[in-house]
Amino acid sequence: MLTLYHWEPNANSGKPILTLEEKGVEFESRYIDLLNFDQHSPDYLKINPNGTIPAMVHDGRMLYESTAMMEYVDEAFDGPPLRPTDPVERWRMRWWMKFLDQFYSPSASMIGWNAFIGPSVRDRDPEELKRKIDAIPLPERRVVWTKAIYGTFSEAELAESARRVRYGAKLMEEQLTRHAWLAGETFSLADINAMNLVYFMPANPLGAVSAEKTPRTMEWLYKMAERPATRRAWARGKTMTTERLKHLVRPSQQSA
Amino acid sequence: MLELYHWEPNTFSLKTLIALKEKGLAFESRYLDPTDFSGEARLPALNLEAENNPETEGPILVHEGQAITESFFILEYLDDAFPDAPLRPGDPEGDWKVRVWARFLGERTAPGVATLGCKAYLVPALRERRLNDASVLDRFKNPERRVAWEQALTDSYSKADLAESRRKVALTVEKIEEALAQSDWLAAERYTMADIAAFAFVNCLPKLAPEVCNEDAAPRTMAWLERIRARPAVREALAMSRTGRPDEAFAPGPEHARWG
Ligand SMILES: N[C@@H](CCC(=O)N[C@@H](CS)C(=O)NCC(=O)O)C(=O)O
Repeated sequence: MLTLYHWEPNANSGKPILTLEEKGVEFESRYIDLLNFDQHSPDYLKINPNGTIPAMVHDGRMLYESTAMMEYVDEAFDGPPLRPTDPVERWRMRWWMKFLDQFYSPSASMIGWNAFIGPSVRDRDPEELKRKIDAIPLPERRVVWTKAIYGTFSEAELAESARRVRYGAKLMEEQLTRHAWLAGETFSLADINAMNLVYFMPANPLGAVSAEKTPRTMEWLYKMAERPATRRAWARGKTMTTERLKHLVRPSQQSA
Repeated sequence: MLELYHWEPNTFSLKTLIALKEKGLAFESRYLDPTDFSGEARLPALNLEAENNPETEGPILVHEGQAITESFFILEYLDDAFPDAPLRPGDPEGDWKVRVWARFLGERTAPGVATLGCKAYLVPALRERRLNDASVLDRFKNPERRVAWEQALTDSYSKADLAESRRKVALTVEKIEEALAQSDWLAAERYTMADIAAFAFVNCLPKLAPEVCNEDAAPRTMAWLERIRARPAVREALAMSRTGRPDEAFAPGPEHARWG
């Protein structure tokens, strides 16, 4: 029995969703609405006391940390292998996942939370928002929510995040110029990880990912979007995530 | 052929030295002191990933010409390339636990321990050497590394930086103490690379953070340290010290997470 607690097919939640879809593993989906603070509700905290998503329960065992969870899924279930067998490619897969998780994603998230998450909840009752913030278990997450809700990310930190996203996009473009996939010649969890952080970039005003600036990354995005697993994963979205995927179509295949 | 570019057996370098010894793999040791600015560092040929390594001063493994970086991923690589004497538990749950420890240690423990270690040992050592800060900083092309080294050269760790680092170190010892209440080892019923990765950061704590890492506050952690120190592979790794004080060897570590 496998249950996945997740939000949209996006960032950390999307990583296990797409992994399970690629692997062909059936699971029970529990949608946790991040914008409704479902992840800090007493019921959810009984499952994951960290109050973050995603979380997975497999045969009564609770798993968290989306990247470690992806390797777990690949190890625990039959289906197409999602990690290269060559040790060097496997190392590259892990290197890229760490780069994405700890360098690229925090910066992309800061920009996204400032532009989207903060404004979507800001207008609620101030007292209620204060109670919601106080209920967040991890101190790091409390800081992030506070800044997003009150719009207090500094200009300097936003600029630094923009620089890092541009740098990450450039590095990824360089890699995809040399190799078909992030880990090398094999499709892997690193591509699944990256898809969840890059699929929305072509629509982002930052302009870090575009046909002009990063043609190889665009080509990789089209390939990723064509995969049946990706389509199934994004069909689970309830916000504009599904819409964004629809735009990832090669210009030659767009209907007139 | 295997070569390891490493420094004193402490933190990142210690982790990789122990793993090589535990697996009984022969390797050429290339000793590299990241705080020695007297000449050009002799690094191996790097690849795109190694050039962008956030642990630039950390160890580099070279296997048949291929540079492998990121100390924990070096451990995973060794298990993938040399499956004998495995250091991972080998079952999905155990391997998951190992990777969750690695993420916590890399993201929280490493920057905390490195900041406290730099403040305690690197800052006074750099001051004594009267280096020209600008010429030292010129060596660092990567902006994150430059910021980290500037902090050490100018001793500009704020009270908040130090408090946050102490919080991370205390949290580490707390988590280890909690895990050891269940089992003698962190991720399985046996010693694994989670123990190696954690030991590499905790071995220096009784001296660096005695207020949290001591017999009264953390008896299980202290006993676990002794169990690990008694292992022949660990003794051999620690004996590779050239200074005789490996637990004082610190260079600016990975940055503190900017986002939850
Ligand atoms: N390192 C964790 C991070 C989990 C995490 O922070 N998830 C975010 C969503 S992408 C979250 O739960 N945010 C909601 C909150 O902090 O309240 C992972 O990869 O699973």
